[in-house]
Amino acid sequence: MLLIRDLLDRQLIDRDGEPMGRVDAVVLEPREGAPPRVVEMQLGFVPLARRFGPRVASWAERLHRRWSVRRSARYSIPWSDVLEVHEHHIQVRLSAAESPAHDWERWLRRHVIGRLPGSGKA
Amino acid sequence: MKKALQLALGIVTSVGGFFDIGNLVTAAQAGARFRFQLLWALLLGTFLVIFLVEMAGRFAAVTGKAIPEAVREHLGFRVWLGPFVVLVLLHVLTIAVELGGICFALQLLSGVHFALWVVPVGVLVWLMIWRTTFDAVEYSVAIIGMITLAFVVGAMRHHPPAGEVMAGLLPSRPDHDTANYWFLAVSIVGALIAPYLFYFYSSGAIEDEWDRTYVWVNRGVAVIGMGFGAAISAGLLVAAAMVFAPLGIRVESLNEAALVLTNAFPFWGFALFAVSLGVACLGAMLEVTLSLAYTTAQTFGWRWGESEAPHRNARFATVYTLAIVAGCAIMLTGLDPMKLTMVTMALNAAMLPVVAIPFLLLMNNGHLLREHANGVLSNVVVGITVLLSIVLSVVSIPLLVVGS
Repeated sequence: MLLIRDLLDRQLIDRDGEPMGRVDAVVLEPREGAPPRVVEMQLGFVPLARRFGPRVASWAERLHRRWSVRRSARYSIPWSDVLEVHEHHIQVRLSAAESPAHDWERWLRRHVIGRLPGSGKA
Repeated sequence: MKKALQLALGIVTSVGGFFDIGNLVTAAQAGARFRFQLLWALLLGTFLVIFLVEMAGRFAAVTGKAIPEAVREHLGFRVWLGPFVVLVLLHVLTIAVELGGICFALQLLSGVHFALWVVPVGVLVWLMIWRTTFDAVEYSVAIIGMITLAFVVGAMRHHPPAGEVMAGLLPSRPDHDTANYWFLAVSIVGALIAPYLFYFYSSGAIEDEWDRTYVWVNRGVAVIGMGFGAAISAGLLVAAAMVFAPLGIRVESLNEAALVLTNAFPFWGFALFAVSLGVACLGAMLEVTLSLAYTTAQTFGWRWGESEAPHRNARFATVYTLAIVAGCAIMLTGLDPMKLTMVTMALNAAMLPVVAIPFLLLMNNGHLLREHANGVLSNVVVGITVLLSIVLSVVSIPLLVVGS
């Protein structure tokens, strides 16, 4: 499996098929005489920013500390939580609804969208 | 049967949803200032948009992916970031100018000042997306958009000289105002290849659940739909040439443009123009707003889909809400809608390489598209499109400064 091609920027879906964001970074562990092992996948604005260099990453960290509603700067999903790597997405055995991947979704639903009339809240 | 219906709907949507304030303003100025001499720019832009739309649809039908998600997945976020930022900016500007078009139309019809319409119209458009399904949006855009055929009828009523019209289909040198001529040529193309068109089309194909079997429906929609849509722009250009050019009216404002149908339709012309403008811009504003929300959601891997309740799609709903707010804010600054439209259209042309090249790269990905990947002919046309778009891009920035 070509790690960069098959993991990075892939759509994640949770155990119920709900979209759970995209893989923003992959953490590998190099091994002697063997291909590197995938330790975990990371989601978040900060890991994404890191792909543009350390200075962009620290700017992103500052933004995160100041403005973000996320519990932490990066959401790490260990490789052991992956159920299956499909052709176009990666399914994990977690539930998106409670996970940090949906921190903003929940916050916006509560404070903005849910407050507007007709949003479909039962 | 379902496919025939999809084909018909696709064509009608393309006709109805294609024509917007960008096409209107560029065609009206072109006809007024240069008679039929800029028809070739229209022809060129039409050819390019048919081509881009067909590819967007084919890609969606075969891979089940819309352009933004596909570019991030297959070319990576670092490649996608630039185009994404450009797309967001172009979309927001376009939302603002379409909103401006609707408000101006309402001002024409009611006498109530333009600025007072901005917030009510913004809220109305927001409600339409908030409460309805994708199908309802698509159908309504399609049906009401047909009124813009009035421009074609209007043009024919003037019995334009066929020889001169035909001559206009070939590029020619202007005998006055050279900088403005080329600026208009670039803007006409920019209005026709507006990125939201083929980006929305690709997401729309997924919303409509197109699969491989829709490749031929897609071809029909692209060619006939876009062709018809362009014919409306051509109709307006010809009508403007027949009405404004002899009088030396340069269409410096939307108020002047409003007179374009008053000769052909003595009693209804003015109202017909206003309704056509308002309706066309409404359809476009809905599409551009959705296109921005789709693009953002796909980029970050959120759930997306217009038909779902906002409650289930809070981030998606937030994006389109903010987009409309931004559009309203821009229009409330008092910027002239016509000038802003011209600038936005020129920017569309200037940014075409940035927003189209990643997509064109994907069209050659045999792994993704297999037998539906671009063949030799498509690639030749792609190559020319890329070169042309770079030329347009380089040329349009100075023209923006000098020629407008």
